[in-house]
Amino acid sequence: MHSLYARVNNISALLSSCVMGLLAAIALSSVVLSMFEAPLEGGAVLVKGVKVVHGKGRAYQHEHAIVNFEIDADLTPLFNWNTKQLFLYLDAEYTNSKGVKNAVVIWDRIVRRKEDANIHVDSRQKYSFRDVTGFRSVISDASATYTLRYNLMPHVGVLVYGTAGSTNGSVAFPPMINHV
Amino acid sequence: MFTEELKAFRRLGFRHVLLQALNFASVIASGLMIWKGLGLITNSESPIVVVLSGSMEPAFYRGDLLFLTNPVHERYHTGDITVYKIPGADIPIVHRVLETHDAKYRGPLPAQNQRLLTKGDNNDVNDIELYRGLDYLERKHIVGKVRGFLPYIGYVTIAMNDFPQLKYALLGGLGLLALIQRE
Repeated sequence: MHSLYARVNNISALLSSCVMGLLAAIALSSVVLSMFEAPLEGGAVLVKGVKVVHGKGRAYQHEHAIVNFEIDADLTPLFNWNTKQLFLYLDAEYTNSKGVKNAVVIWDRIVRRKEDANIHVDSRQKYSFRDVTGFRSVISDASATYTLRYNLMPHVGVLVYGTAGSTNGSVAFPPMINHV
Repeated sequence: MFTEELKAFRRLGFRHVLLQALNFASVIASGLMIWKGLGLITNSESPIVVVLSGSMEPAFYRGDLLFLTNPVHERYHTGDITVYKIPGADIPIVHRVLETHDAKYRGPLPAQNQRLLTKGDNNDVNDIELYRGLDYLERKHIVGKVRGFLPYIGYVTIAMNDFPQLKYALLGGLGLLALIQRE
């Protein structure tokens, strides 16, 4: 009963259950903290200009949108002791004339420090914004809502998703520019 | 050194060996039951996965353990982290959803009629190159959505894959212990 093996076994069992308990407590604490923390003040998303053009080469039949936008958001309240990083992304949602509902991420950023969580961005999209349907002018009579969303990743525990801001109403796509 | 053990082994007799074998089998069976039960509840073929590559850094590193669910009636959204498996590829991939496209569809499970495009946080381009000729992922390729996260724990399995000797030593040791333990 008091062999070396039994002792090693007992100690390692105790150690691992202590670590598991601690991790569970940390994971729970961030859930509780998020209930009490200050609510996120609405960030602002402003779309300054949209262009719709042909794709290049094989993608000629697909419409591509080019979006200039501005983001202003303060995400510092989301940082607590169990926050590993924030994944921020700007999401364009629209329904094209073929009835396909689309959501396309056109910009993203990873924020790892609280000091960097006050976001001011004035830029063009990062990823190509292409309509899937692949016939001309299915996007032109549509309009998109641009929403800034976040994914909060903990050091340990549950992933949290949320919205940090949005355009006021939807932004219409202009007619396609034919001569590129 | 082993003569002593062998003697003990003989003294314990055949029934003891059978009993130990039964114990061993019940441990394996209950493990399998828990795994398959979890799979049923979460509707995912593998509800717990280990991250094998660095393509989602700094969110996930090699060896992190992820917990997945895959609800039938729920759509996937942009920003969700999915695990998907392309037919023909043997390793499931953990990447984030970049685009979703829901075609018009009147059926019992509209959420199943969704096309997805993914990208790894640490990659510069999207995953079309990984899809083996597919233009988009379909729901049937998706193993699940990442819900929870436990760092480092899965590194054991990676170590066992990288150094097979470790795996055999561990299995052999456990088997030996299970047989010669007397309680």
